[in-house]
Amino acid sequence: MGDLAVSTASRSAAGQKLAEYENNPVNVLQIMRQIQLQAGCVDADAIEMLSDGLGIPRAQLLALVQFYSFLHLEPRGKYDLYLSDSITDRMLGSLETAEVLTHELGLSPEGHSEDGEVSLSMTSCTGLCERGPAMIANGHAIQRVDAKRAKEITKLITSGIPVEDWPVVWKAIDDTIVKKGPLLGTTLTPGAAIERAMRLGPHLTIAELEVSGLRGCGGAGFPTHLKWETCRSIDADQRFVVCNADEGEPGTFKDRALLSQYAEVLLEGMTVCAVTIGAKTGYIYLRHEYEFLRTQLLQHIEARREAGLLGRNILGHHGTDFEVYVYMGAGSYVCGEESALLESLEGKRGIPRIRPPFPVTRGLWGKPTIVNNVETLCYAAGILEHGAAFVMHKGNEPGWKLLSVSGDCARPGIYEIPLGTPISEVLAECGASDVQAIQVGGPGGELISESESGRCLPFDDVNTGGSFIVFDSTRDMLDVASNFTHFFAHESCGFCTPCRAGTKLMVQMTDKILDGHGARLDIAQIRRLNGVMTQASHCGLGQKAAVPILTTFEKFPESFHQRMEDVDYKPAFDVDAAIERSREIVSEERSS
Amino acid sequence: MSQTLKIDGVTVPFVEGQTIIQAAQDADIFIPHLCYHPDYSANGSCKMCTCRVNGRQMSSCTTKAAAGQVVESNTEEINSERRVLAQLLFVEGNHHCPSCEQSGNCKLQNMAHRLGMTALTFPNFYPGRPTDASHPDVLLNRDRCIYCELCVRASRESDGKDVFCISGRAENKRLAVNSRSGELLDSGLTRDDAAASVCPVGALIRKREGFATPIGEREFDRNPGQAVNIRAGTLPKLPRQPGQKIRVATCSLAGCFGCHMSLLDIDERLVDLVQVVEFDRTPLDDIKDFTQDCDIGLIEGGVCNTENVETLRKFRERCKVLIAVGACAINGGVPSLRNGIDVRELLETSYVDGLGVDNPGIPTDPELPYILENVSPIHEVVKVDYFLPGCPPPADAFWHILSNIAQDQQPDLPYDLMHFD
Repeated sequence: MGDLAVSTASRSAAGQKLAEYENNPVNVLQIMRQIQLQAGCVDADAIEMLSDGLGIPRAQLLALVQFYSFLHLEPRGKYDLYLSDSITDRMLGSLETAEVLTHELGLSPEGHSEDGEVSLSMTSCTGLCERGPAMIANGHAIQRVDAKRAKEITKLITSGIPVEDWPVVWKAIDDTIVKKGPLLGTTLTPGAAIERAMRLGPHLTIAELEVSGLRGCGGAGFPTHLKWETCRSIDADQRFVVCNADEGEPGTFKDRALLSQYAEVLLEGMTVCAVTIGAKTGYIYLRHEYEFLRTQLLQHIEARREAGLLGRNILGHHGTDFEVYVYMGAGSYVCGEESALLESLEGKRGIPRIRPPFPVTRGLWGKPTIVNNVETLCYAAGILEHGAAFVMHKGNEPGWKLLSVSGDCARPGIYEIPLGTPISEVLAECGASDVQAIQVGGPGGELISESESGRCLPFDDVNTGGSFIVFDSTRDMLDVASNFTHFFAHESCGFCTPCRAGTKLMVQMTDKILDGHGARLDIAQIRRLNGVMTQASHCGLGQKAAVPILTTFEKFPESFHQRMEDVDYKPAFDVDAAIERSREIVSEERSS
Repeated sequence: MSQTLKIDGVTVPFVEGQTIIQAAQDADIFIPHLCYHPDYSANGSCKMCTCRVNGRQMSSCTTKAAAGQVVESNTEEINSERRVLAQLLFVEGNHHCPSCEQSGNCKLQNMAHRLGMTALTFPNFYPGRPTDASHPDVLLNRDRCIYCELCVRASRESDGKDVFCISGRAENKRLAVNSRSGELLDSGLTRDDAAASVCPVGALIRKREGFATPIGEREFDRNPGQAVNIRAGTLPKLPRQPGQKIRVATCSLAGCFGCHMSLLDIDERLVDLVQVVEFDRTPLDDIKDFTQDCDIGLIEGGVCNTENVETLRKFRERCKVLIAVGACAINGGVPSLRNGIDVRELLETSYVDGLGVDNPGIPTDPELPYILENVSPIHEVVKVDYFLPGCPPPADAFWHILSNIAQDQQPDLPYDLMHFD
């Protein structure tokens, strides 16, 4: 597209979206995201119009565009492709896919075709870990893009076939549910949980949650009843329920399945929460990568409104009103942290807030807010319909957890397991053999070697929000650690010093070792930096960013030793690389 | 009755609602900080004020004081973390104290000094960040920005203007200006705005004031404040016969020889020095090559071309202990201002378009060394055993260190001789 055409497209998209959202500044991020999808960029012209239309300073709008990964000042191609760069995609061959696309489409190292028709970028985990390599093409999720499919995509692009018309089967994301427990295996009756919660009243509803032992399933494991009780007991004129559907932890895709097949249950859970704490408004914060789930989710909301389960006077109870809105993210892992998510919901950059106060006391727009994971809210619905017995398992111990199993195993997919299940049991069930290691809980979680597989899954021994990635003995664990380290550096919000500079240094030091220039001093430096990042970082990202490299060093030292000499110091400095440019210039000068 | 908490064992009163750092300031207890300012809302981003509060590390500018709290601040553990934070802020930007107008008034430089930081040890990022000189009265040099957001807050909370905001994320984070052009010129910022003078470093400076107060007489030159903690590095032990002189070699790579000049400034003490020191290869005696292995190598200047690389490697090979001397050897210094500019542009500026150039043309003689893409500190090329900071390090620092070594003592540089530039 020429400059003029870009500017016309972005101006017209900006005009349309401003009108659609009635110039409401609250929706700034939603408006920007739609302009991006429609015009391929949110350029200076669009920013100008948004600034006038929404009354938000230009620089703040620019700041949003430059913060979120899927918003761009410069136009993206008509074919706007993002290849998932999660370790699970790499294990399934994403690097080869990238190579094929780059080569066949003649893309520059930055990923642009000469005519500007195609843009290709790498992006953090897209949540299609069991069906990678995954790609987001013009907002559509495309699965299993191996080298062969990459070649087919090239043909479609060169023949000008729009992404909408690409084979349906590529886009059919069926959820592989392998093992069902109470949540995945029970069909709940719409409205039954709400009805019972209303009958019980807030005290008994919260007591029921307490008996059930339900804890936050996003990874923190905070007791759900305490959250709800605190939020309810604070004096306020308004409260909110927010569903955290920003499933960005690499290796996690269980919320994707819940959102697509159990949306009814989720909405039921959100409504139970709303009637219990006294909220009138709820939001589902859905990650950008799950655009393909949005329409369906909106349809569920509409259907429940019609059935009297959402909207005004729920189940005929006068004055019990609850509306749910779907709010899309725009590409930022940090927004999975609850206070950053609320910032993003308020149309700002996703920077975690200073805590305390926590969202339960001061959340969205300063009001008490419950932020719960998709899975937590689904379990809450089951518990309220059937009582705490819903989540009891053998030995009458409460609690279940969904796992997203991916990596080197015969049966990747979603597993609902009782709390306290040994890792070895999951390995056997998913058909993993020749296991070297398991990353539980994503890059910031715990790396478990095969010999530790007797340890038990959440919450108290090995914790996880759901990510469970298996590595067999052919995998190079330092490569894995490097992928995780790069992920943290890419996703750091940059707010605090230790994380902003520390994650980048971690990448440099990890790559230095990977390139065979590592020495004992580098390990000492990594430890020194880790000490500061762990203690002083503003949120969990910076606190965990050095964990992968250090745990790998502890548990798989051979992956380091094979690349390191037994010396104190070795420079990364390479004189030939450093004078490459000079040599080039001198030889040009000599021949001219 | 006011309540109290304890900071490093001292009982400190506070009033309800105060943060720990506010209570500390009222009690004249210094907690290192950069993004905190008593006039503005707390930001909590630099993390320099991190303390151990009841056993857990917290930012003292955002943590409320509470009765009975036990705060640890001036401890070796916390101060070494702060020293790393200072290093991180230095390496992620382009902080060239010797050529910065703010030197002597800069809180980051002062923090480094007080925390006993003598080297960066981590690799420099040398980011390319645009400078904005469009405004008639205020210069924005993003190379020096530490993202404390004080200008953002001052503009919003004091000037009511919202001139600045933070854009981007991770290493692409930038200070952005709210104006049609994106530059300061049409931003509404004026010389007298609080935002124009609140910058703790030299990122935002008012024009035509830079050198009104000469270097050496500025705020922190006159009163750097008490050292929080001093711990220079330790030197490896030198095996020597009793009474044997220490053999010293020196050289200047990409430097100005100012450090050598400073060494000579020990004046008549040179006579005492040569009683215990034997100079080998050094420009001071014009010996061009090593006559034998040396005990100490003093290196001034950064590494800018292939000849520097060769010289430096030779020094590492021939000297038992290598000491990086001065800003250029330690972090690239003034020569590294060119980092980030394409080599062709550099060569053309010097040899083709330069003022007074005769026979313009980029030299191609095979005898000439190649210049490196970036000027590097010497520790990125060889292992360095000790860092002697300053631009230049004072004559007394050389005297101190060499006489310490001659007496088989660990160098013990006093606070006023160990100044990071």
